[in-house]
Amino acid sequence: MPPFVDDILPSSNVFIQKKPESSIITIDVGGQLFQTTKQTLAQAGSGSLLSKLSNPSSLSRPDVPFIDRDPEIFSILLSLLRTGNLPSKAKAFDLQDLIFEAQFYGLESLLVSSQSNPSQFEAFNLEKSLILPLNGRDSPSAISTTPYGSVHVSHGSKITSFDWSLRRKSTILTQFTAIDSLLALSQSVAAAGATDFSGLQILDLDRGFIRETLNWENSTMSSSTVQAIGSSPDFLFTSFESGRRNSSSIMVFDIHGSFCPVVEIARCEIYGAEIDSAIPATKLRWVSSLNMLMASGSHGGPSGVLGNIRLWDIRSGNVVWELKEKMDCFSDVTVSDALSAIFKVGVNSGEVFFADMRKLNADNPWVCLGDARKGNSGKKEGFGCKIESHGNQVFCSKGGDVELWSEVLMGSPTSSEDGLRGRVFRRNLMGRVKDVGGCKITNLAFGGNRMVVTRKDQQSVEVWQSSVRGF
Amino acid sequence: MEESHSSFTPEIGPDNRKIKLNVGGKLFETTVSTIQAGGPDSTLAALAAREADDSNPVFIDRDPEIFSVLLSVLRSNRLPSTARRFSKQELADEALYYGIESRLKSVMAPSPLIGIDASLVATIRPAADGFSSSFTAGAGDGSVWIAHGGQISSYDWNLTHTGTVRTHLEQITSIRHVWPETAAIGSETAAGLHFYDFSGGRHVGSVHWTDPSDPRIYKGRIIAIADSINSVFASFECQHRENCILVIDKSTLQVRSEIGRLSGNSTKNMVPRKLIYLPESSVIVSSAVSSGAFGFSGYIKLWDTRSGEMVWETNEPGSGRSNRFVDSFADVDVDIEKSAIFKVCSKSGDIGVADLRNLSDDPWVYLEDNNPGIRNSVGVGNSIINCYRGQVFVSKDGELEVWSRIKEREGMIENVFEQGSYRRNFVDKVEDSKRGIINRMEGGGDRLFVSREDVEGIEVWESSNISGATSLW
Repeated sequence: MPPFVDDILPSSNVFIQKKPESSIITIDVGGQLFQTTKQTLAQAGSGSLLSKLSNPSSLSRPDVPFIDRDPEIFSILLSLLRTGNLPSKAKAFDLQDLIFEAQFYGLESLLVSSQSNPSQFEAFNLEKSLILPLNGRDSPSAISTTPYGSVHVSHGSKITSFDWSLRRKSTILTQFTAIDSLLALSQSVAAAGATDFSGLQILDLDRGFIRETLNWENSTMSSSTVQAIGSSPDFLFTSFESGRRNSSSIMVFDIHGSFCPVVEIARCEIYGAEIDSAIPATKLRWVSSLNMLMASGSHGGPSGVLGNIRLWDIRSGNVVWELKEKMDCFSDVTVSDALSAIFKVGVNSGEVFFADMRKLNADNPWVCLGDARKGNSGKKEGFGCKIESHGNQVFCSKGGDVELWSEVLMGSPTSSEDGLRGRVFRRNLMGRVKDVGGCKITNLAFGGNRMVVTRKDQQSVEVWQSSVRGF
Repeated sequence: MEESHSSFTPEIGPDNRKIKLNVGGKLFETTVSTIQAGGPDSTLAALAAREADDSNPVFIDRDPEIFSVLLSVLRSNRLPSTARRFSKQELADEALYYGIESRLKSVMAPSPLIGIDASLVATIRPAADGFSSSFTAGAGDGSVWIAHGGQISSYDWNLTHTGTVRTHLEQITSIRHVWPETAAIGSETAAGLHFYDFSGGRHVGSVHWTDPSDPRIYKGRIIAIADSINSVFASFECQHRENCILVIDKSTLQVRSEIGRLSGNSTKNMVPRKLIYLPESSVIVSSAVSSGAFGFSGYIKLWDTRSGEMVWETNEPGSGRSNRFVDSFADVDVDIEKSAIFKVCSKSGDIGVADLRNLSDDPWVYLEDNNPGIRNSVGVGNSIINCYRGQVFVSKDGELEVWSRIKEREGMIENVFEQGSYRRNFVDKVEDSKRGIINRMEGGGDRLFVSREDVEGIEVWESSNISGATSLW
């Protein structure tokens, strides 16, 4: 081991005792003395109480700074500062205690990233871990998450928000009788809409009032109901349908600031009997790799379910790609940027299909990942199935179960004449034997290191996560 | 909401002097301002102020673990999870010893009661004669006095049983909190209004309805009791159904006046089963409802307590809109802050609201809600209405629902009497409604107390910011 040189750069783990102007700091917390380094305290961030302690100007006084707080919890938070993780002794406390003390010291963001970091999401290691009860008798209708794992659930006319730790909740009342679309814009702001209520409302979830109501002025001058909400880093997308159900449109709003309308795309109106021409989009997903918006919609008619999937270029307002679904139309669609593919679950077959986004021009881009023959059986096995992508995986609900689809990366392209044909996807049924089944899944969402599930007639939210350190 | 009350400041002010305490052999170090957070005159502040030096800190001969919980409360104004190791009673007793009970009370109090997000947290069951015949949460701090059989049991802000008084009555049917330690009670089977004092556990006075000019006024029984700062109001009924409201001076326990004498020979003049005092206008609202083969019928009368005159009355069926003819009210309550009187319609389950400052022949505005989650069961149900904390709680048989106002904009002026501004939601779950018919509801502190027919004890409903997540690991 090389000896310490005097001008070596001190890092947080190096203990330098020789230096006269040492970076070691002694703090007295509630009567207990702690020694650490300025570098460790600096991890707390510039505005925090602890980094002020490491600031030499406040240390001009000769005595040890005293903080009148609980020393035991401080020792846990000091470990968090040192290692970025909670020590296992933290389990002796309630997470609420740690959050509250972390807020006092200005360390909450460190605690959040140690407990609910999206990078800790492990699709293959998710277990059913928590049930969050909802008061009252309404079952959840829509759900939305934030990147660090707070969860907003609409049930009846109410929205209940759980914070990132899922330990605290708050509930607000809205004007809607039932909310069909919900999108969290931040920890405390959400966009909500319903298919039987005019206008998209931007709600302040902390104080429970409406910030903005966004409407679409349609040609029939009727109300504008909300069919779907989506967002990109810059825009908020809303699929509106007129109250008379004869026209629809996607409005693009500026997500920063005052939600000004930017552009209207996909306006279509029904003329005569061509009902298919104006199916409103019921799902909007931003495809960041293509810089385009995926919009899909379907409706059931006498000849079965018909639908379309479109990719829109927001700047030009043009459809870049469109797929009309006539045979085995999707019951749900999602886009995976990481896998650069569109996935659907067929309403008749109940099977998962994928379409490679690098090869969309083919006549039928769908590749069935199961038994393709089932599509012709007139049954509606895929009815109500949900499909969502998160990270490198695709999650598809079937009844009360969730299937996890992942790509198997083969060492070499199996068929050299067509490199894409060789893509291999495999499925797993999620959960242990005791977790399989249950009431039909109505919503799937992802946030932080968790998957969040709601089920039909269950006044609760189910959380799946992998066991993390600390809690 | 939870503000930290102590914080590190580099400049040592007079209050941030460090102080060492030796509690039961364990050393604690804190500041004078933290110690005084429980009140500068608390026992703890006095104990800590004794002469001591660093090597020989102040010694307090109490349990160090509970002290660490209480110190945490003083430091951060929040109950730490370590408090779960102790019962609420232990914490309260220890806080009482240190004289910091008010601080503990504020951190242990439930979150503000929000009907749309409330759940059943406890059922208080008196040990014997557990069927509550009446209860009062009038103290307003979340405490409740339960009348069961001939006993009154009191439960404090912590819902800890603090005592039971056996009264001379066999069956108490009305109870009202009139002084911090005094209850007014009455029975439908025995005469008179009686006052019992908790601290002494004894009877302190009685009031009977007498009329020197009318010998038939004899052995009047109590049907309802209301309370104001200076007076107690009680509706009395005699054997021959004649009835009145007596105004009783709270300090002398003497009858001050008699108002609203009614013959009791028809629905329109039967004895009031509900009395509500409106302090702003010195008006007492009396109402009675009876149900029969043809549905509900009843009246609401407003009496000026100073003149004894009737100010306003309505009878149902009879007055009001004709399309509501078969939908007469089942119960009435007043939101005193908003000067609004609410009634629940017996058939539709709709809520009617009227402005007390502007009453006319048909003052009602009907609140309707088309929440598809709430089925309006057709037919006459047993409904109770209770206005509390700006919300309207309504029971229908065993079901409990709440009508809450929508906040539309920040700082919007509230108009209570506007149609469509309320939403109706269930408070309970289906399982809860199966326990029995709700026969009484009352709010107190941030709690809603509910009792059910033929069910022992009373239910306590609270709201919470805690998610109540159950772990499956």
